[in-house]
Amino acid sequence: MKQISVFLENRPGRLANLLKILKENNIKVFAMGIAEAGNYGIVRLILDNPDRAIEVLRNMNMAVNKSEVIIVSIELLPEVSKVLGEAGINIDYAYTMDGRKVVLKVSDEIKASEVLRNLGMEFIV
Amino acid sequence: MYKLPKSEIEEIQRKRLRQIVKYLYENSSFYRNKLRGIDIDEIRSKEDLRKIPFTTKDDIRDNYPFGLICVDFSKIVRFHASSGTTGNPTVVAYTIQDIENWSELCKRCLEIVDVNSNDVVQIAYGYGLFTGGLGFHYGAERLGAKVIPASTGNTKRQIKLMKDLGTTVICCTPSYGLYLAEVAKEEGINPKRDLKLKAGIFGAEPWSENTRRKLEENFVENAYDIYGMSELNGPGVAMECKFKNGLHIWEDHYIVEIIDPNTGEVLEPEEKGEMVVTTLTKEAMPLLRYRTRDITILNDDPCDCGLNHARIMRILGRTDDMLKIRGVCVFPSQIEEIIMKTNGLSPHYQLVADREGVMDKLIVRVEVAEDFKTDRLTDLVNIQNKLEEELKDALGINAVIELVEPKKIPRSEGKAQRIVDLRKIRGLL
Repeated sequence: MKQISVFLENRPGRLANLLKILKENNIKVFAMGIAEAGNYGIVRLILDNPDRAIEVLRNMNMAVNKSEVIIVSIELLPEVSKVLGEAGINIDYAYTMDGRKVVLKVSDEIKASEVLRNLGMEFIV
Repeated sequence: MYKLPKSEIEEIQRKRLRQIVKYLYENSSFYRNKLRGIDIDEIRSKEDLRKIPFTTKDDIRDNYPFGLICVDFSKIVRFHASSGTTGNPTVVAYTIQDIENWSELCKRCLEIVDVNSNDVVQIAYGYGLFTGGLGFHYGAERLGAKVIPASTGNTKRQIKLMKDLGTTVICCTPSYGLYLAEVAKEEGINPKRDLKLKAGIFGAEPWSENTRRKLEENFVENAYDIYGMSELNGPGVAMECKFKNGLHIWEDHYIVEIIDPNTGEVLEPEEKGEMVVTTLTKEAMPLLRYRTRDITILNDDPCDCGLNHARIMRILGRTDDMLKIRGVCVFPSQIEEIIMKTNGLSPHYQLVADREGVMDKLIVRVEVAEDFKTDRLTDLVNIQNKLEEELKDALGINAVIELVEPKKIPRSEGKAQRIVDLRKIRGLL
């Protein structure tokens, strides 16, 4: 699954501005997480049309990046994190989606997919 | 002859200073006005100069285009102009005698680094309104060297000329020198092995020892710094000798003072400040106490090369750009260099000086690059920490780094507005 990350200054109105741009372009937000460090932060998003979002946001001169994440159901998380850990794959960060799913950024998503697939675990990639 | 004992240079200075002040008083309405209330017979030495007000770049612009000319129009043989980023350009006029003197000084500059009539001198400074090209051209010709008037651009052809004509001396900006070296390599030419460049004479931009090392490793045997500006003829005002420890300024043609740019007070040798120059031999447009806005240090110690003309140190920056933080002079160029080396950042930045209690604070606001490749916060924090550390190393002060979104630093048509000094604003409140 493609995740979009956007560099934003950590001050009032910046997130609103980002979400407004997405909304005006009919791009739906499925999940969102924010990580902050002092005067700036990164907003991570799962969207219905990530490629278009990148185009739109770049045109607005925003620093945008695309990366691969995997999504699992929250019930499976204890098991998933256990097998990933055993396979030496780190979960760099995570945030929830719909209250029932979790977006995971892992150190090696190809290997992670393989491990999960082999164990017959359900996940979205 | 210019290889004179100090006492003779000083004697020439005193004589020429008296002449030029009298000449300006008689021939320039601008200077007659500036010298009002001053007994010009009392201006006999460098110290007496202090009685005379400064001349600034604005004076030249305000009297555009002919207001500072003090010869009959029929005696002018050339104009040069430096680009005006705002308003009028700075136009400088020359008589035949001015061109003669300027050529002589450029010749000296080449001579003191052993350029002679056997050398092939390729001049890759712009020929035109800019003084670089023609200044070196006349100097090298006067020396009897073989001149290639390559001017700027067409880099591959420059390299072909160097190779085919056996160029031994290259004159260009240091950044173009580095670029020439790079392109030569791409063309399969190793300049140090395949070319015969014994010397490179690099000017028109401030540069560092770091750059010298790079130029000497990859391009020329010896990289020398030269200084000049169109208001003072052009290139050839000061030049490094073979000892590469400061630039000899031709004191029989120029008097140098170093001042505190804020108070105008003349500083002692070894103190860093703005260079102020009085031209002693110019005819069409002589200048008294011209504020160059270049920051340097004057060194009057004897030099191992035997020349008794005082030396200025490398140009450290411009007064317009200087920022004083806790007593430390900070130049945007120093910070820029560090930002440029850091991946993930754009070259757009702004320096904000503020006060926290009684302490000065420097905030460096820099844009992340639009194509910055990370979704991980740690990568950004690492960039920030690295920048903080390197600035501390280079400047000796702690700067606060603020990463901002792309295109958030205001852009300007001309010179970038790099500095915001909130201390001044707070001082008024």
